[in-house]
Amino acid sequence: MRNLVWSLIAVIAVGTTGCGQEQRNNGFDPNLKVYRHAMDQSPSSLDPVQASNVYANHVVLNAYDTLFAFKYLARPYEVKPNLAVDFPEISDDLLEYRIRIKEGVHYIDDPAFADGVGREVIAEDFIYSIKRHFDPKMRGQGAWLWQGRIVGLDEWKESGADYDQEIEGLRAIDRHTILIKLIRPYPQLIFTLTMGYSALVPREAVETYGLELASRPVGSGPFRVTSYDTSKIVFEKNVKFRQEPVDIWYEGYNPETQGFTGVEAIQGRSPPFLDILEIDFIAESAARWNSFTKGDEVQYTGVPNEQVDNILSSKDPITPTQEIADRYHMYAGVEAGFVFQAFNMDFPEFGYNDDPDRSRRNKLLRCAVIKGFDWSKRNESFYSGLGIVFPGIIPPVVPEFDPELSRWSVERDVEEAKRLLAEGGWTADNLPELVYGTTSSVTSRQFFEQFRGWLKKIGYPSDRIKIKQFATFGDISRAWKNSTLPFVAKGWGLDFPDAENTLQLFYGPNGSPGSNDANYRNREFDELYRKTSVMLPSPERSKLYQRMNKLVIDDCVAVSGISRTRIMLWHKNVIAFPDREIVGGFFLKYVDVEKQQPVEGEGT
Amino acid sequence: MEVLQYAIRKLLGGIPLVLGVTFISFLLMVYFGPDKTYELLGKNPTQEQIDEIRHELGYDKPFMVRYGEYLKQMATLDFGASDSTGEPVSKVLARTVPISLALITPGFILGNVLGILLALIAAYHRSGPIDKYIMGFSVVGMSISFLIVVIAFQIIFSSSYGLNAFPVRGWNVHSFSDYLRYITVPTLATIFVALGYNTRFYRAVLVEEMTRDHVRTAKAFGTRPGKLLYKNILKNSMIPIITRIMFSIPLVVVSGSLIIESYFGIPGIGKVTYDAITTGDQPILKAVVGLTAVLFVITLLITDILYRVVDPRVSLK
Repeated sequence: MRNLVWSLIAVIAVGTTGCGQEQRNNGFDPNLKVYRHAMDQSPSSLDPVQASNVYANHVVLNAYDTLFAFKYLARPYEVKPNLAVDFPEISDDLLEYRIRIKEGVHYIDDPAFADGVGREVIAEDFIYSIKRHFDPKMRGQGAWLWQGRIVGLDEWKESGADYDQEIEGLRAIDRHTILIKLIRPYPQLIFTLTMGYSALVPREAVETYGLELASRPVGSGPFRVTSYDTSKIVFEKNVKFRQEPVDIWYEGYNPETQGFTGVEAIQGRSPPFLDILEIDFIAESAARWNSFTKGDEVQYTGVPNEQVDNILSSKDPITPTQEIADRYHMYAGVEAGFVFQAFNMDFPEFGYNDDPDRSRRNKLLRCAVIKGFDWSKRNESFYSGLGIVFPGIIPPVVPEFDPELSRWSVERDVEEAKRLLAEGGWTADNLPELVYGTTSSVTSRQFFEQFRGWLKKIGYPSDRIKIKQFATFGDISRAWKNSTLPFVAKGWGLDFPDAENTLQLFYGPNGSPGSNDANYRNREFDELYRKTSVMLPSPERSKLYQRMNKLVIDDCVAVSGISRTRIMLWHKNVIAFPDREIVGGFFLKYVDVEKQQPVEGEGT
Repeated sequence: MEVLQYAIRKLLGGIPLVLGVTFISFLLMVYFGPDKTYELLGKNPTQEQIDEIRHELGYDKPFMVRYGEYLKQMATLDFGASDSTGEPVSKVLARTVPISLALITPGFILGNVLGILLALIAAYHRSGPIDKYIMGFSVVGMSISFLIVVIAFQIIFSSSYGLNAFPVRGWNVHSFSDYLRYITVPTLATIFVALGYNTRFYRAVLVEEMTRDHVRTAKAFGTRPGKLLYKNILKNSMIPIITRIMFSIPLVVVSGSLIIESYFGIPGIGKVTYDAITTGDQPILKAVVGLTAVLFVITLLITDILYRVVDPRVSLK
């Protein structure tokens, strides 16, 4: 059979003779250091004002500079100065931030600049970049991070978004110093300055390219984009990038857990280490796996669910098979985010009702659904049993997570669920119709069928639980924002490692079309949210966060949740500690590759 | 002159077709397609921000005004910029359509040529073992999902589990040998599936032609099989064959092949179109739909002229 197939392609093989050498380095010059990364989705825009997800940030954070960044190796995550010289000088009342940026940093050379030569990055660029989020013409997506926070910024927008007009709370004091004045303390501000949203964009590029900036970045990051299409993006080293030797100990290196990665080899050297960085966008898991295992194509992959059992010899602890361990580096980590469902409290059938008795009964109904939900089975069925099931809305990755919290809300108890229904006077005849909104994927449909099956066991008739599928994310997002679904199933990726980022999902004023799709309104919760929103991290704040978490659990608003464990594999010749959490992609500038040492199984 | 007059008449007659197609498709895009507004929102938007984005996208204008703008774009061939990447649509098409053409053309030509050859052989040996083998192969090609064929071929030819002889994905084409490397497996997959459909269709057409009196007469005169198949059967069957081939062209040119492009990481128009559909990127969609309609009109015209070429009895009046 093998000979027959070879015979059939012999002619083509003759035609392709001679190109093998070039292909050994992914089609690039064999003398270059090339790393091919893989992502399961492509970013839709490369403009920092639209860097709304990890996919976009993988590009934005490598093409542009941010004032602050996450340390490469520190877990839990820690912030460090990046373009900023140091941490901000903060006034005693926590309302004024002075940030000095590094001198002598230049943008890449681009026709947008006079003579095509990238000019120096200055404080005014940061001011301009933040203003862009408040200019409707820019279609920015990050305004929510600074809206109502910075003195004069909202007013600047209302008065017509004139870039030449100064803002009291957002100014460049001199060429390299930024002043931010806050309306009230905002402890998460520094986190927002690590995000792609806050990356520094030169005004010349925006004025030259307009909306097209979304596909041709002009930044001062470690790489410059050379090509971008639906299948991949290719960067080359930004030769003008500042020389800053890496101190892996400062970056949070832990030899015990990270020694296997070989990152000690980058100690004292200045990134970026790659000549070419290519990110392939491969939505199809089979194609991604084939490309990764081929040996001479992508060098990194997240492990698709269907491969988990093939590559692991043990799930607890997570251990690769000998074959996988011999061929690849592996790391398994819990995601910075979670998957959950929530009732939309604006629906009187399940949530708030003018009739106090019905409100009481609705709560019992919601609690019954929560007790009927089998998180353990969900974990086994869809997450290979590797996810971490936790009660409430503060996921394990943030420091405020409480491992001692009662697991009542995540442990299935059919009898208890039936008891709660009976206590509320709910019978098969009077239970309201539950519409489960989801996207139109096979997995979503399976989620629904499993959910319906569990509820049937507690006495909820199957014909009262309906699915409403939406063709695209935009469609379901519209339904959430317009509050037309009584039951919301979604995932949330943390923007920064602070529980505030998940608690805001249940803050009353953030109701639809805001991020509080549950339209949960609890006076105590909202007061605590406002109180903690100006507090610096402390045991007291953590305690208040946990109290808010308890309120959501006690009100039976959310069926929550699970944080998935992500398994990553990369080739042995790649020196890296990959991470796609939080902003995503900040590790890529530290990636290095040993000269051509392809793994077994490599073709051509 | 006759052809020119016919062409002008036909093109003018195609205008209502283009208007109809663009109107219906734009109606579907606006009222039933994904709303780009909600793709462009931040995580915690206000109603004011939603309204601003709708305004920026022009969604707050009356439908007929928007349709009028669409027609103007069609007339000027300037569809603006993609709502996702901001890249001018003309640039996107100029970059991706040639790649799709380069990808699909070999499979398209070989699939049809081989389909006709196999159909001729099967038709000539009608009801015999050769016919049955060929038809059996055709049924196999038709029965297996294209997706499965793509995955299987990728594993067999490209992956480390198989021959590992070709790239799994990518499109770094700098020379003809690069080109061969990247298109071989997609082309084989395309041919495998297309052959099934093509062979069965062409065989049916040729078998019908073989039952005609002139074929029987030619056989009675002792015409050699090769001449009989080419001159008496194939030439007289060209009308349905041309129809099938020609009507596939607009879809090949504009739509590309989504599955092939996605699995093999080839940046053609198919993937761009699919992404535009799922995200509601109307500038791209408007261009693809409008240009497909125009291409169909042109294809209809060329098809009619080709009818005349292969059969002089066909009148262009």
